[in-house]
Amino acid sequence: MSVIPVAILTGFLGSGKTTILGYLLRQPEFSRTAVIINEFGEIGLDHELVEASEDSVIELTTGCLCCKVRTDLTQTLQGLLQRLDEDTSTPFDRIVIETSGLADPAPILHTLMTDSELAGRLVLGDVVTTIDAVTGAGTLEREEVSQKQVAIADRIVLTKLDLPGVAEPELRRRLAALNVGAPVLRAFRGRIDAPILFGTDFRDKQATSLEVHSWLAEEAQGHSHARHDADIKTYAVVRGEPIRAVTLTLFLETLAEHCGADLLRLKGIVNLVESPDRPAVIHGVQHVFHAPAWLERWPSNDRRSRIVFIARRIPQRWIEVLLDAIGAEVADVDARRASTTLVDCERR
Amino acid sequence: MPIDLAHELLTQSLAAWRVVGSIRSEGDGVIVICGSHKDIQIARAPDDLIFRWIVTVDGRKRGAISLVAVLRQVREALDPGYAASRVRVAVSPLVPSP
Repeated sequence: MSVIPVAILTGFLGSGKTTILGYLLRQPEFSRTAVIINEFGEIGLDHELVEASEDSVIELTTGCLCCKVRTDLTQTLQGLLQRLDEDTSTPFDRIVIETSGLADPAPILHTLMTDSELAGRLVLGDVVTTIDAVTGAGTLEREEVSQKQVAIADRIVLTKLDLPGVAEPELRRRLAALNVGAPVLRAFRGRIDAPILFGTDFRDKQATSLEVHSWLAEEAQGHSHARHDADIKTYAVVRGEPIRAVTLTLFLETLAEHCGADLLRLKGIVNLVESPDRPAVIHGVQHVFHAPAWLERWPSNDRRSRIVFIARRIPQRWIEVLLDAIGAEVADVDARRASTTLVDCERR
Repeated sequence: MPIDLAHELLTQSLAAWRVVGSIRSEGDGVIVICGSHKDIQIARAPDDLIFRWIVTVDGRKRGAISLVAVLRQVREALDPGYAASRVRVAVSPLVPSP
């Protein structure tokens, strides 16, 4: 049974998500796509597979966002899979979730990354964020959720470029400050190259390798200039020495425990002591982390571990010292264990 | 591991948690933190204990098996709004399957 990628289409109110979705669904390469819309009645999609999640904006803004969206989204996704299994729907091999314009997309990502009912059947695909080229800069200035939508994106799409009042260079600078690694694409009245938009499949090692190349470009800029926008910063932690797997685990656990929602996104390629030829690709959103994906080989001769952070009010220095301190303690324990084993052997 | 590294980790941690406090190292390798009306001492545990660190908060001693555990105890003492996530993030498998 094949694993189905789930892409997220997000963006602030009126930023053109539905227009793009409407265009994409008319393209041949999107003919086998199921769509979940986070709001009822936003568009009359002429597509048999449209499933409307019962989450509303009001529900999403009360109580525990994760729990609210999880229950509903999980049920919707399970229903889609059941219909697919029972052969009562048109077959699909991709799902796109269009979020509400006011929604924080992170809980949706959490659901896809953690729900045991869905694990094995679905995998998180690309996160695409639309930005209105006319009003986007102002929206980013005012709306924290808009910053977050941009910060966690794999692709950013500028919309409404044909309208007067577009200040594209300024907007691009602002977007780069929030998320320097995500390619910025341009859509004209919803028209955009579909394969470019949702091109990555997290299971696909080759695609993952391509993603890594993108992150490395991000790291090169983010690391040098420590770009920032208000409280959100992008930076990279780079280590030349291979990292022990247990160090990485403790490091990620500590980040999850102490940073929570302030860790908007983490992506990295890691050289593990235990796997020198196959680097681990790690990927996390807030307090949730994917199990690592393993590349078949290093994408370049650069075998340093590089972890890119998009974080709110988390000092880079703390991240660096945390990794170093945990690494030193793990090495210390290993050395002591080796020493004890040696003494035991000599006693025998 | 060098005590200086633990000292810097704790210093940076206070900044990351946005907790006001002062940190100093005593001559015997003990790190002392004062903040939020708490006095905290962090010392290496004796070799015959299973713990690596002993954290003393206002006179009450607790063992900590790692620096990660030290951080948790220090933050619980200094940051009343902190609720440690008990969810373990399983990064498995630790190595790729052959």
